[in-house]
Amino acid sequence: MRAALLWLGIALVVLALAIAAIAYGAVPLSAHAVIDAIGGRGDAVTVAIVRTLRLPRAVLALLVGAGLGMAGAALQGALRNALAEPYLLGVSGGAAVGAVAAVALGASGPLMLPLASFAGAALAIGVALGVARASGGRADPRVLLMAGVIVGAFANAAIMVMLSNAPPNAVRNALWWMMGSVADAGWVTVAWLAVYVALGGALLLWLAREIDILSLGEESAAALGVDAARSSRSIFLIAALLSAATVAAAGLVGFVGLVVPHLVRSVGVRRHRALIAGAALMGAGLVVSADLVARLARPPAELPLGAVTALLGVPFFLVQLRRLS
Amino acid sequence: MRSVAAGHLLLGDRCPFLRPAPRLRFLALLTAFVALGTLTACGDAHRVAPALEVDDFGDTIRAGTRTNPARIASLNPATTELLFALGAGPRLVARTTWDVWPDAARAVADVGPGLRPNVEAVLARHPNLVVLYASAENRVAAEQLRAAGISVIALRTDKLADFVRTSRELGRAVGESASAATVIDTMQRTLARVRAATLHLEHPTVFWHVWDSPIYTIGAGSFLDELLTIAGGTNIYADRTEPSPQVSLEDVIARDPRIILAGASGKSSLTSSPLWQSVRAVREHRVFVIDTNLVGRPSVRAGEAAASIARLLHPGIEL
Amino acid sequence: MIVFDRTVIRYPSARTAAVNEVSFAAPRGAVTAVVGPNGSGKSTLVRALLRLTPIAAGNIAIDGADLTHLDRRTVAQHVAVVAQRESLVFPLPVWEYVALGRHPHEGPWAAAPSRADAAIATALERAGIAELGDRSTEELSGGEWQRVRIARALAQGGEAFVLDEPTTFLDIAHEMAMFELFARLAHDGMAVLLVSHQLNLVARFADTIVLLHRGRVAAAGTPADVMRASVLEDVYEWPLLITRDPAVGAPALLPLRNRGPRSPSQSP
Repeated sequence: MRAALLWLGIALVVLALAIAAIAYGAVPLSAHAVIDAIGGRGDAVTVAIVRTLRLPRAVLALLVGAGLGMAGAALQGALRNALAEPYLLGVSGGAAVGAVAAVALGASGPLMLPLASFAGAALAIGVALGVARASGGRADPRVLLMAGVIVGAFANAAIMVMLSNAPPNAVRNALWWMMGSVADAGWVTVAWLAVYVALGGALLLWLAREIDILSLGEESAAALGVDAARSSRSIFLIAALLSAATVAAAGLVGFVGLVVPHLVRSVGVRRHRALIAGAALMGAGLVVSADLVARLARPPAELPLGAVTALLGVPFFLVQLRRLS
Repeated sequence: MRSVAAGHLLLGDRCPFLRPAPRLRFLALLTAFVALGTLTACGDAHRVAPALEVDDFGDTIRAGTRTNPARIASLNPATTELLFALGAGPRLVARTTWDVWPDAARAVADVGPGLRPNVEAVLARHPNLVVLYASAENRVAAEQLRAAGISVIALRTDKLADFVRTSRELGRAVGESASAATVIDTMQRTLARVRAATLHLEHPTVFWHVWDSPIYTIGAGSFLDELLTIAGGTNIYADRTEPSPQVSLEDVIARDPRIILAGASGKSSLTSSPLWQSVRAVREHRVFVIDTNLVGRPSVRAGEAAASIARLLHPGIEL
Repeated sequence: MIVFDRTVIRYPSARTAAVNEVSFAAPRGAVTAVVGPNGSGKSTLVRALLRLTPIAAGNIAIDGADLTHLDRRTVAQHVAVVAQRESLVFPLPVWEYVALGRHPHEGPWAAAPSRADAAIATALERAGIAELGDRSTEELSGGEWQRVRIARALAQGGEAFVLDEPTTFLDIAHEMAMFELFARLAHDGMAVLLVSHQLNLVARFADTIVLLHRGRVAAAGTPADVMRASVLEDVYEWPLLITRDPAVGAPALLPLRNRGPRSPSQSP
């Protein structure tokens, strides 16, 4: 009962944050004007600001946060590592390589850039899985982690080489993308990301009980009827692709996948079905509030979203570390 | 990051990956338009050609765009300066943080960056027309503004020819075609004068310093190279086609430029660096300071810019 | 119920097989103990049962069906295995951990277990840790943790119970309690397969002992058959004395002090 109340409270807070994200921005609007604008009434500019800019942006922020939170929660359990997060496994490196390559080749339009970054991420995930398989560590999650780190390191090197040869504006474009932003949110992007998050989230929730078992270790998992190697690979794949989709939509929004599962655990959630669902909610809240801060800190300029999520996430994380020790 | 910022300030953000397609399309359409226009002018009142124009993103400038927009948002230092020169300054309602010339521009509301602009802040100024810098990262903003029902023109001025074209397009868009013609004419006449004055002089080899870590200079694809040629200099990197190639110090030493042109901070950086003493022009104190505000981008003052360079390269020249 | 038939298991880079043509059965209603020196292949057998190591030759059968043809979940519903070691990355309350043992019987959308669940309570009771139910797994001593893991396997249910060195950290009382539990489970009809170093307790409680030596079966049979000094000294390479414990009537083993290089046994 207490748990239900707590989660209701958290859900209300997230809802309030989402509303704030629509109500506040570089341009002050009255609450009345905002409500009218959502319904399509009122001054054309206000309607444009609310419906074309703020609304899809808020929804995109919620989706990105939910996707990353769920992916992080699933990976930490399946890989038995409290520091696992989707970006650590080569997803961010691969996506960045794809995006930077697209920028360097001049194909950085609103369609090509997400496609290129997703393709880069998918390639990196495939390579990481291949490296893990080739080194024979079929079931050892540490091998998968190391493979991901290696792929990520290689990707970073490739990015540095590409950027060193690129003209200044390509560098600027690439850097901005890598800092993460939901400013380019359009309803099309929101739609396909929603599909990904819904699908990926449903799959992870379905596998949540297996993750509970996986987190016991290879032998115990086998004793309880779970094929640890195949299961952790599947979860890795689903979580990584889910993260790749969020990266394609919004660039690199770091720290969310790492911090959010710990936040959810700190309120006493242990089993992964509740953990993944809770991580979706808290992740959504974290990113939408980070975007709010990014927009309101220094108007009319905007802070990069990835920087704000890290700045918000670090204190939470430090508190959590203190509680652990 | 330094080189990025410097590139932005000094080069006006050239993208070397020019997309020929929109240009060809534009030229083709322009030719078609002219041809059609000529035909209609011959008297057939029933065959009227649509006023189809295309901006630097390849997007159609809506036919029926108001020719006298009362509220203009200019998100690019080059176009802001141009609009003031065209006499449309009083109609400006928004500028970017970097648009600070002429001084009157500072009085216009600052809506943030020109690259990936804050669309909300721009919308709040209720413009009729928004002029964007035609760089790939601004495409989304262009779409968002159009979705809000605002006319958008995306332009980029990389070279002198662009400037002529941009001035005409912008002049037409804001209803100041006459001013545009004057501005262009003045600039071109000044350039012609400078070119004529330096034509028969010896053209010294010049290294144009943009940044030194890493070392960026200008190549044949750059507007600055055009100015340099008009001013009677020879760019030692005219063999490089990209607008801002990156080069090595050894190569600069090997090419041994007679003169080095740099901004004020660039000159102090060069003269205080022990490495650069290996370059003869630095050793023999032939590093001259250019006014980066004046020569930074193709603008109404391109003529003056060329003249200022010519005076540095050919002391005592009469212009 | 669990039958190893000429099983050969080889680790990838090893020259010799870890388990070499081992055959024995662990039937229902009996305690079967596998003993032997370190490295004799005991744990490898358990790993093979868990399908963590592939079988090179021979097979393992569960109630007559070849293990490799069976679905893992089905096997887990009938066979509960307690591995040698386990450590948790994220702590849980003990009762929740024990509840995880029900996993093979539940689908992905099963409701979360409740504290009052009968199966959990029974398992905690039988393992003698009813009072630990609400503690966190990270606060347990080695012995408590071992008993908690046994409780989880008890919650799993099934007809066979396989344990790999389940009493290493337990004190006398708890160790005896566990062995009595194993005997009781066997008496109730389960097949109990036990890997252990506790030769004396094994001698008292096991119905069959399988002695492994370098991957092969050195001896198999009742405790009386297997617990002979000659056999054991060869395998363990240590001087031993086997007596008969008058109190319980089972063979008892006493290791003697080493008198220098390996010397033959003296009696009985």
